[in-house]
Amino acid sequence: MGRKIGFLSLGLAALWLAAPVETAAMDDESCVSCHADAGMVGDAYVIDPLRYDTTAHAGLGCVACHESVTWDHPDDGQPLSRAGCLDCHQDIYEEYAQSGHAQYADCGDCHNPHLVRGPTTISGHDMNRNCAVCHETSGLVRSHGSWLPQAALHLEMLPCISCHSGSENIVISLYLTRRPLHPDSGAPARGLPFELAGYEDLKLLSEQEKISSLIDTDGDGFISLAELRSFNRNRDNRNLRLKGMLTPEIVTHDFGILANRWDCTFCHASGPGAMQTSFVAFPRQDGSFERLAVEKGAVLDVLYGTPDFYIVGATRSATLNYIGLAILAAGLIMPVGHGTLRFLTRKNRR
Amino acid sequence: MTTHSSKRVYLQPTPVRIWHWLNALGIVTLGLSGAQIRFPEYINLFGSYKAAIELHNTAGILVALSFTFWFFYYTCIARKMTQLYVPSSDDLRHGLLRQSVYYFFNYFRGKPSPHHPTPDNKFNPLQKSAYLAIMFVLMPLVSLSGILLMNIAPLREIVLLIGGLKILVGIHFLLSCAMFAFLFTHLYLATLGKTPLAYFKPMWNGWEEIDEHESETTLESGHHG
Ligand code: HEC
Ligand code: HEC
Ligand code: HEC
Ligand code: HEC
Ligand code: HEC
Ligand code: HEC
Ligand code: HEC
Ligand code: HEM
Repeated sequence: MGRKIGFLSLGLAALWLAAPVETAAMDDESCVSCHADAGMVGDAYVIDPLRYDTTAHAGLGCVACHESVTWDHPDDGQPLSRAGCLDCHQDIYEEYAQSGHAQYADCGDCHNPHLVRGPTTISGHDMNRNCAVCHETSGLVRSHGSWLPQAALHLEMLPCISCHSGSENIVISLYLTRRPLHPDSGAPARGLPFELAGYEDLKLLSEQEKISSLIDTDGDGFISLAELRSFNRNRDNRNLRLKGMLTPEIVTHDFGILANRWDCTFCHASGPGAMQTSFVAFPRQDGSFERLAVEKGAVLDVLYGTPDFYIVGATRSATLNYIGLAILAAGLIMPVGHGTLRFLTRKNRR
Repeated sequence: MTTHSSKRVYLQPTPVRIWHWLNALGIVTLGLSGAQIRFPEYINLFGSYKAAIELHNTAGILVALSFTFWFFYYTCIARKMTQLYVPSSDDLRHGLLRQSVYYFFNYFRGKPSPHHPTPDNKFNPLQKSAYLAIMFVLMPLVSLSGILLMNIAPLREIVLLIGGLKILVGIHFLLSCAMFAFLFTHLYLATLGKTPLAYFKPMWNGWEEIDEHESETTLESGHHG
């Protein structure tokens, strides 16, 4: 408490000079000194500074959104004001209001104001997590399965917003997944399906180096095809696999059903030219993701570039095409070669 | 039945013929729709991409079932699998060579084929070996890889065991190319009868026509076999 008073007097002194007394307010550190501590405020009111401090909202200050806070907080028991998203995100608000979905969910249903992230620093799984609160996955697999083959696979590999909004700049994001650890032995459990690897797991595996060093071995902040291949071929990494998702870099809030997503060619039939931009996204301690660019075209590599990512019609490998062509050509040797001789010797068989 | 005055041998029973042509249709459909699935910006034979995929999946299931049916027909009902399709040791020692020499040499000189088909021994050693590769190696592997591709999420662990989706697709694609390579050869071999259509007729109506003196040897070997 002593520290708190100290901060308060400092803050007050500053505000005396700048503004009328009534708007003088606690600074973020004071708020967090109580609100980081579940024992003091209760689980429901905890703000984790580790995760909050790196969000775009942290720079605004708690009070910008909780204006009504006074020095009597929390003793006065008064509920605090909460700024509406409309105050600062008018464009998005209006865009969203026009979508049919606005009647079903508010900004707050999909965003925790203390954990906001941009689309390039969040994982595709996180984008879907909020949708899943209201849209039950098994029901979606059933409804989408009526027109979409392998619906469960699609729903796992795509953020819903890649189909249900006009979001743009769709790129391939690769995430590290791993076998969950067995509760008893602590070793990777072979039978269990791969799941998204968290920061702590990967920190252990990278032996206290930067997590990205697991793949970016030369540490230049760029992942070459050679680095990707050697990561995928390394036996030590057999419990780690890269999973690819098609995530948008620019998000729009016109949620709804888009006619052109019925059309499989939106993703599948673009040919190898369209699907070359990819990133590996590594988890950071604050729950966000850091993207490292991957060499162009790495997803088209024959086998070891991205062994678990393949979109039919879009990420085929040219090498494989040539081998296939050679096989087909071999099949023509008999008809063409023999056929020619047969034609030339046709008189012998009269 | 071979004593029939028209010197004909009933070579292909009806179920086999139905199976063969359905299978042929299925495999051609699979090859064409597969080509559209892999090269959509160049090939559009079935309207939409989705149509190609649905067709490929349906034909894939049908061909896989038909293959299973073929397998059981010959192992359980006809019980002739090994006899018909597995080259005998004699085939391996002499037959393959003899038949190759025939196709690549004597054929051009106008000599007769050393092999005479009967219901129990209807394929020559070369055909037998090719069929063996196709029916026991390519077909099962293409079908299995295809069935895995059709169920990636539920069968993920098996896909991982194989080495990943890319390897699986690679296997499926290259084997399907091999299948078509065979198909070219197979079709061509089938035109090497007395007339180019001679071998197609038995597959169509079941009967093979053979020369008088040939039919006698055929009958004999038929009695022994
Ligand atoms: C002395 C510790 C302390 C400080 C400092 C503090 N809070 Fe709280 N806050 C609490 C406690 C305890 C509660 C729970 C009160 C309850 O259960 O009603 C709470 C509740 C809240 C709530 C939810 C109550 C509601 O409106 O429904 C908000 C929002 C909040 N605090 C914001 C802030 C902000 C913003 C600051 C800094 C400007 C801050 N608090 C500073 C202890 C603190
Ligand atoms: C960008 C605006 C914004 C900022 C900045 C902000 N909050 Fe909030 N806060 C909100 C909104 C909006 C809610 C209501 C969330 C809801 O109801 O889901 C809220 C709710 C809360 C709650 C209630 C618990 C909850 O999650 O619903 C607490 C406690 C709280 N804020 C504390 C803080 C503290 C402490 C800070 C600064 C470290 C802070 N807030 C910064 C907008 C903000
Ligand atoms: C006091 C103004 C203010 C309020 C209120 C506010 N925001 Fe923000 N928000 C910002 C600013 C400033 C940024 C950073 C610049 C930008 O992306 O527009 C931001 C960024 C964001 C981001 C993107 C984060 C990133 O890293 O790109 C999200 C998501 C977001 N806000 C959601 C919300 C939601 C949801 C609400 C309502 C609960 C809300 N904001 C209320 C000011 C505000
Ligand atoms: C149905 C869920 C949903 C609703 C409702 C929703 N958003 Fe979003 N929003 C998302 C998703 C998903 C993203 C992309 C991932 C991310 O950045 O969180 C996103 C991204 C954002 C961004 C970051 C955009 C950028 O390019 O940096 C902002 C800002 C934002 N939303 C604000 C809002 C505001 C304001 C509202 C209310 C008007 C709102 N959102 C309502 C799902 C929603
Ligand atoms: C707060 C609950 C809630 C959240 C969160 C939510 N939705 Fe919805 N959504 C609904 C409800 C309710 C409906 C209407 C009933 C239905 O169609 O299931 C709906 C309908 C839809 C529809 C059909 C719209 C139409 O025009 O028929 C789509 C598409 C959709 N949601 C996508 C999403 C996506 C994508 C997300 C996550 C980014 C999301 N929803 C998050 C509640 C929610
Ligand atoms: C491949 C694109 C695609 C993806 C990915 C996708 N959807 Fe859809 N979704 C559609 C299309 C197209 C329709 C319209 C089909 C219809 O009306 O039957 C639809 C329909 C819906 C509907 C309305 C019908 C229903 O099921 O109630 C909801 C809700 C919905 N989607 C939610 C989601 C959510 C949540 C996700 C993410 C988990 C998601 N979708 C992922 C394309 C997609
Ligand atoms: C929004 C993009 C998108 C749309 C639209 C889409 N898909 Fe996919 N599709 C994907 C992704 C991503 C995967 C998973 C790739 C992986 O597992 O690596 C996938 C996988 C598949 C697979 C499994 C083989 C493979 O590539 O791994 C099939 C088959 C498939 N899709 C068919 C369709 C059909 C048919 C449609 C239209 C009805 C369709 N898709 C629409 C993105 C899409
Ligand atoms: C016999 C059973 C078969 C099954 C079950 C099967 C199934 C599949 C599946 C599931 C796919 C992924 C796309 C899709 O869902 O349609 C696929 C792709 C493909 N199939 Fe098949 N298939 C079979 C046989 C064949 C055959 C016989 C050929 C050709 C001779 C073939 C050629 C292809 C090709 C070229 C692709 C494209 C894959 C790529 O992008 O490389 N398939 N098959």
